[in-house]
Amino acid sequence: MLLPTFRLLQHGITNVCNNSLPKSVLESSSFLQTRHYAARKGTRERKKKAAAKAKSKVVEQKVGFIPHNQRNREQFLMKREKRKFDDSMRRDPIDNVFVAKYYKWIVYPFTEAVECHRQTHHPDMYNKPNAPLHLTVELNMIGEKQTRFVDNFTRIVGIPHKFDQNEERAILAFTKNPELQQEAANAGALLAGGVELIKQIQNGQINLQDFKFIIAHPEILPELVVLRGLMKRRFPNPKLGTLGVDMKDMVEQFLHGINYSAIKDEYEKDFGAIETVIGTLDMDPKHLEENFAALVRDVNTMRPKRAGHFISRCILWSPPSPEKLKVDHERYIDVGKLNDQRAEEENEDSERIAL
Amino acid sequence: MWKTIGTSLSVISKQKDILQPAKELANQQLRTTYILRRKHPTQLHAKGENPKTLRSRHYIYEVVEDTTSVKHPNLDVILTSYVEGYGNVGDRVSVRPNFAYNNLLLPGLAVYASPENLEKFQNKQDDKDIIRYSSANALYTVKSLQRVLLSVIMNMEMPWTLKPWHISTSFRKCGYVVPEDTITLPEQPISGPNMDLENKEFAITVTINNKEKVDVRCRIHHWSTDISERIPHTPQFWETPSEPILPEQAPILEAIPPRPPAKNRSAQLN
Repeated sequence: MLLPTFRLLQHGITNVCNNSLPKSVLESSSFLQTRHYAARKGTRERKKKAAAKAKSKVVEQKVGFIPHNQRNREQFLMKREKRKFDDSMRRDPIDNVFVAKYYKWIVYPFTEAVECHRQTHHPDMYNKPNAPLHLTVELNMIGEKQTRFVDNFTRIVGIPHKFDQNEERAILAFTKNPELQQEAANAGALLAGGVELIKQIQNGQINLQDFKFIIAHPEILPELVVLRGLMKRRFPNPKLGTLGVDMKDMVEQFLHGINYSAIKDEYEKDFGAIETVIGTLDMDPKHLEENFAALVRDVNTMRPKRAGHFISRCILWSPPSPEKLKVDHERYIDVGKLNDQRAEEENEDSERIAL
Repeated sequence: MWKTIGTSLSVISKQKDILQPAKELANQQLRTTYILRRKHPTQLHAKGENPKTLRSRHYIYEVVEDTTSVKHPNLDVILTSYVEGYGNVGDRVSVRPNFAYNNLLLPGLAVYASPENLEKFQNKQDDKDIIRYSSANALYTVKSLQRVLLSVIMNMEMPWTLKPWHISTSFRKCGYVVPEDTITLPEQPISGPNMDLENKEFAITVTINNKEKVDVRCRIHHWSTDISERIPHTPQFWETPSEPILPEQAPILEAIPPRPPAKNRSAQLN
């Protein structure tokens, strides 16, 4: 009985204290034991040193002058207009006359687009009927993973209908067979030869730097290995298309083919573009179409193994006309075949999961 | 006491806003239904027995569906007048419910597609008194074509006579799709190269969907393939007035409403 009453009393006293005394007095009147033991040897010196060190670190490092256009780089990148193009939110035109910017881009059949450019370059208007026909191929560079991107690539594609590209392409052809040597030379190779040519190169009589492309027949490959150090990356290789049996075909591909390179955007890594010329406007539209088909098929061989498209759109343009016409490219790629492949891959994946 | 009551009542009567109806009454029911599922199922109990007491874990729920964030379906309305981009009188259109309420139903441009209204507007589509456009977007196109001053770039060296395909190509270059068969040129042929025609106007007629006719102002510009022969570029050439090529077209050109001034000042300066 005593204990509870004592507790009550205690409570009462503290309550009274709380009510009447100022807070500072209360704090000072709390009985807290404070004992100061001597610090361990060297502790104070260590702390002083650390404090001094921290003080000295605060001194600001001088930042050199940053050009105005490089400040707020992140902000600039955020505001930058995206190069990827998407008009899926726009509506389809319903009239025969309309303002193009309010609707989805028109997808022209290839020959019709060429015809449109021919109209603007007609003698009545720009009077440039033999202007070069430019092609821009926009690519979705996302690789097999979302964070991996397809590397920039440069390829050369053989085209069925050649045109003047204003470019000298010296070709060096290696083969033991004299008939094939003749064939390559006739096709347009600057120099064609066999083992004796290898010796001349080793002697220094012929400079490899004078040639843009080096092609070879597989039979001469064992002898050609000695030049691997000199040729480095240009050493004939079936992957590049520089090593093969049909010399005439290879020479023609490298002499008249379209040399194109896909370049990724510096900031927008999943966007790439190819800019090239596929012919001149005075060529037969059917021939231009075949050139275009060959190029599109070749670009599509670089497609990564993933779902979705690789080529996002193809645009035909021809200066001085400001017109840019989107052309249908999907009909030239064997879409059915691609879908089959994809289905097979998916089946394999599902089987793996089932196991 | 009675004296004071008199004064206080007068004070009350002066304060007009002392008695007012309650505001913010929810006139519509609020639909805030959340569909939940118990994370841990409750224990079963024997038949006829009291259910077993629920433990604290039984009060943990998982959200199955939050009906407040479900997208409402489109609303069907019948237009009572022509609405640009949507349709003619009596057309039944399906639009987002908020848009329908704020922009079509409230201004009285449409009514709900109820069975009664459907019946009422059934005959309106054949009504000949109402002005009907060939499509929902036709008036848009008419208005934007009226604003255009089409620059028809023709060659300075080669002889030419103006044909519909020249106009169609010029339109396409400026971002307008106008097929050849919709273009009507002036009856008198215009041919060149003729530097007297340089920067002078003529009018053509564009027929949209074989129905709406628009007169479009055009100007001839001579372009030389040789860069040294080219006429220097005039910025904002459409702002300087010009004369008609054919005097009989002067009233047509005057009837075309003048182009409104550019909204963007920076565009003017460039």
